[in-house]
Amino acid sequence: MEATIEFIKKIVDNLNGFGFPFLVFFIGILEFSFGLYKRKWPKNERYVDIACFVLPRLVVQPAVAYFSVTLLPHIFPAFKNVFSWVPFIWGFAIIAVADDLTQYWYHRLHHQVPWLWRFHRTHHSASYMGMAMASRQNVIYTIFFSQIYLTAALVYLGLGIPAIAVRVIKSTITTLAHSSIPWDKPFYKYKVLHPIAWVLERLISTPATHHAHHAATTDDGVGYYKGNFGNMFFLWDIIFGTALISRQYPKAYGISHYEGDQWYAQLLWPIFKSKVEGSELAPNGPMVRIDLDKEEQHLNGNNSGNLKHDAAVLQPSYSNN
Amino acid sequence: MKIEPEVKKQITRNVILSLFIYLLPIVLMFLTFLITGDRPWEKKVHKTENVKSTNNKTNLNNGSND
Repeated sequence: MEATIEFIKKIVDNLNGFGFPFLVFFIGILEFSFGLYKRKWPKNERYVDIACFVLPRLVVQPAVAYFSVTLLPHIFPAFKNVFSWVPFIWGFAIIAVADDLTQYWYHRLHHQVPWLWRFHRTHHSASYMGMAMASRQNVIYTIFFSQIYLTAALVYLGLGIPAIAVRVIKSTITTLAHSSIPWDKPFYKYKVLHPIAWVLERLISTPATHHAHHAATTDDGVGYYKGNFGNMFFLWDIIFGTALISRQYPKAYGISHYEGDQWYAQLLWPIFKSKVEGSELAPNGPMVRIDLDKEEQHLNGNNSGNLKHDAAVLQPSYSNN
Repeated sequence: MKIEPEVKKQITRNVILSLFIYLLPIVLMFLTFLITGDRPWEKKVHKTENVKSTNNKTNLNNGSND
């Protein structure tokens, strides 16, 4: 048993070194080779995606490294490696729950607390899906990514190897859930695979469930931006009643009223504001703007009850132009 | 714009449940130790003691651990 765990540790260590960047590179090539972005990668969106991919690696990761290497020993000198005795399997379980459940809450609150929505809007503004979406975030959202600090603290306490293992598995699942490659499709197509699909779609984020979260519409049986908040584990959505499993993919992604806010505003709001009038990121823009179709319903005097509810549970929609 | 009272209530309920979920793997780990009688935190202390070098008058290597 110990030899097997040692073997897993070595694999995880290697994957962390070069495996994950290779995976991202490989999926990226696949997505472009098969035209999975469907030629919908305008210059402005490209800038947002690339800046969001690069900046965290230049700013956030060094900041977290500083936090864990310098600050923690200074504040808690007696606690270094205090939990290094925790067996790998249990360390893995503790970190997987601590990290992913914290991210579930961080993500959910950005959808359910109106004041927070604009820090997460950038992640939903694209009208396409792809692995680049996984890191497409406003820089403030990335800096306050609370579970990074939690994981850094756990590493300091002596849970470094299990933390790396969780990181590798989590990055792989979230990248594949955002990817435009529907790897889960065969599980729904072939009856013999249905039992595996049943477990899989409840346990982890799949393209079907996570794409539904990025849909331009909600409550239409496929799109569900009011839920499906899980990142690595989808189980949290099942437990807390925020899940929708349809085994289908939305026809359109993004935000219905999105008109291409400047890449720098999407990356650095509220430091830089959008020049698009009426945008949530504009200087006098609304905190949360409701979907275009609901705006029309409101103007026609219909469905005002739903309108109120949708505005509170927030956000996007997008006409696929 | 404020959060809907129903959403607020659901968040509160779910946060309380989350606290139990956070604790669950830690509780299960100690429960396993209780059942198996395993005490890995003691092994760690033992290991530290073993790595100390010895250098006394009865040591035939004359202080060298080579």
